[in-house]
Amino acid sequence: MGVRILVTTLSDSAAVTPSGIAVTGVSRSFGSVLALLDATLTVPAGSVTALIGPNGSGKTTLLLMLATLLTPDTGTIRINGHDPVTEPERVRAVMGWMPDTLGSWPSLSARAALQTTGRMYRMTGAQSAVRATELIALTDLGDFADRPSRVLSRGQKQRLSLARALVHSPGVLLLDEPASGLDPAARASLRQLLRRLAGEGTAVLVSSHVLAELDEMADAAVYLADGRTASPEQVAAAGASARAWRIRSLDESALERALATPGVVGALVQVLGVDQLGTLVQVENEASAAALLHNLVLSGVPVCDFGPAVGNLEHTFLDLTRDRPARHSSVVVNPEVTP
Amino acid sequence: MNDRNRLFLTGLWLIVTLELRQRVRGVSWYVLLGVFMLLVGIVTFLLWLATSAWLSGGGGVFSTIIFFVLLLGTLVSPALSGNAINGDRDAGTLATTQVTLISTGQLVLGKFLAAWITALAFLAAALPFLMFAVVLGEVSLGTISVSVLVLAAELGVIAAVGVGLSGILNRPLFSIVLTYLLVAALSLGTLIAFALLGTATQQEATSVNYQVVESTYDEQTGKQSDIVCSTAQTSTYNVPRFDYFWWILAANPYVVVADAAPGSFDEGGRPTDLFGQIAVGVRSAQAAPELYTEYDGCEEAANGYADQQFDGPTPQETYDGAVPSWFIGFFIHLLLGAGALTWAWRRTRTPATHLPAGSRIA
Repeated sequence: MGVRILVTTLSDSAAVTPSGIAVTGVSRSFGSVLALLDATLTVPAGSVTALIGPNGSGKTTLLLMLATLLTPDTGTIRINGHDPVTEPERVRAVMGWMPDTLGSWPSLSARAALQTTGRMYRMTGAQSAVRATELIALTDLGDFADRPSRVLSRGQKQRLSLARALVHSPGVLLLDEPASGLDPAARASLRQLLRRLAGEGTAVLVSSHVLAELDEMADAAVYLADGRTASPEQVAAAGASARAWRIRSLDESALERALATPGVVGALVQVLGVDQLGTLVQVENEASAAALLHNLVLSGVPVCDFGPAVGNLEHTFLDLTRDRPARHSSVVVNPEVTP
Repeated sequence: MNDRNRLFLTGLWLIVTLELRQRVRGVSWYVLLGVFMLLVGIVTFLLWLATSAWLSGGGGVFSTIIFFVLLLGTLVSPALSGNAINGDRDAGTLATTQVTLISTGQLVLGKFLAAWITALAFLAAALPFLMFAVVLGEVSLGTISVSVLVLAAELGVIAAVGVGLSGILNRPLFSIVLTYLLVAALSLGTLIAFALLGTATQQEATSVNYQVVESTYDEQTGKQSDIVCSTAQTSTYNVPRFDYFWWILAANPYVVVADAAPGSFDEGGRPTDLFGQIAVGVRSAQAAPELYTEYDGCEEAANGYADQQFDGPTPQETYDGAVPSWFIGFFIHLLLGAGALTWAWRRTRTPATHLPAGSRIA
């Protein structure tokens, strides 16, 4: 990664150690509509945190507040120790935001857009030109860098949007649905990039619906439902609840026979059925999953695939949102909803 | 200049150049300017013929080109500036700018300056023709400088109103249309209001006439004697009271430009350019109509018609005798532009405490 650009006028008193994102008891309503009721979360520097929630749960509202665009009604937000409401300029100097909307200046090329953004962060012309070249290479936009951005595809615009969020090498990175529209290769490099940024000390908050993706790159997850963040206890309970595991064997009939044999399947395991990808069993917890695998192998079943049918995040997410009262989900509206 | 101001100006200029690159879209823009120049060229040529400019000087040509630039500016500027902020919001580029170190003040002012510069391009395109008019002669330096400066300022007011409304209203179409309506209200609405209000508040005027019924005319002296006079013949009629409403015209941008230019008159006291004609017209509306007039034809007949002085004040006397009004209208316009920009700045400021219904911030 490139040079960390020092924003000269702001860095003098900002000699605080980067502390990432801290959100405490934040609420926000739009008229009579409550978008966020009580959001509490922390994203330490040097980690990737996933922000997960159903549509309209307040994810974008939360990110807009972190991005200094919206004031919270109550609660406090700190971005590397600075309050976005009272010191937005200090927050902006250290925060990069990739919005969920694809906005780019249509007549500017990707390179010109990145250079302009660099100048907006008070970099010199030469600095921003160097940085733009770095970011074009980083986001693999080389072939399209000098064409007007209105001809870019959705995925290319998405990469440009990511590059723009990184222009000033922010210590806090907010990404709203960064993977949507990306092809698998671009998703993989996004994942690697975020891991590397976190390794360099950046605090990364990613919202996404592609939970399997987040599973692979997030250190922690924040679940948002009906404007509330789930408490750690709820998350732990949901994560530990019974879940489906998928078993695939080289010899499906041997697996079927073994599962029918008394003693192999413990009391806490229930066979759900067979689909094209293998056999699904309901397993109460990881210990009983381990016992089941042990028994299957002992019975001589050639197991080649044994794992949770859904990722950790998805399992927790589905479990947390399963029993939501319906009245909330119908009234929670994001500011992103336009008439 | 201290560091803070330098940073502000650097960011401001960045926004101006970005806006110009965004809005001044290459070829089509230059085609528009070319068509404009062609039009001004045709107008100049026809005016040259119509005013016999080679004899009377370029005052008429010059003033008409200035008005033509104002007309074109008011027609084009709202379309170019009326979606500066809400158009960016729709395109998703407003919020990405607002999360950078560009302040809302820089953003709004930069967009205003870019819109103003765009409108001034029309003035620049008309410069060759203005110079041609000056070369024709009889255009004073005062007229040139004042009318060009006031025209430039009026174009700035329209740009400010357009950018301001684009920050106040959420839908680009609404703000563009409202800018047009506002420009129309100032340019045409003031005329309509003036005419309607003036004619609606009519007052009864009385005139008393004495006429010669019978007399003896001496052909040698050309005088009449033995005059038998009629009794007083009283007639009443209604007169419009334009003098109550002349100030409405002060808010008209064309009147502001015309009234601001120093009046230029020929030996007979007649205005030599369009500015003067409009200014005389507007200023003559300041005078109250005479509600009682008496005409004694007998006395006139007795004195002979030869040495009577029957002419009223010359246009120049009317002009000089009335109050100049342009700075009132000009001040109102500046206030309007500054107010619109301030309001837009308040509405666009982040972090936003209030979101209007149905608006999106990103």
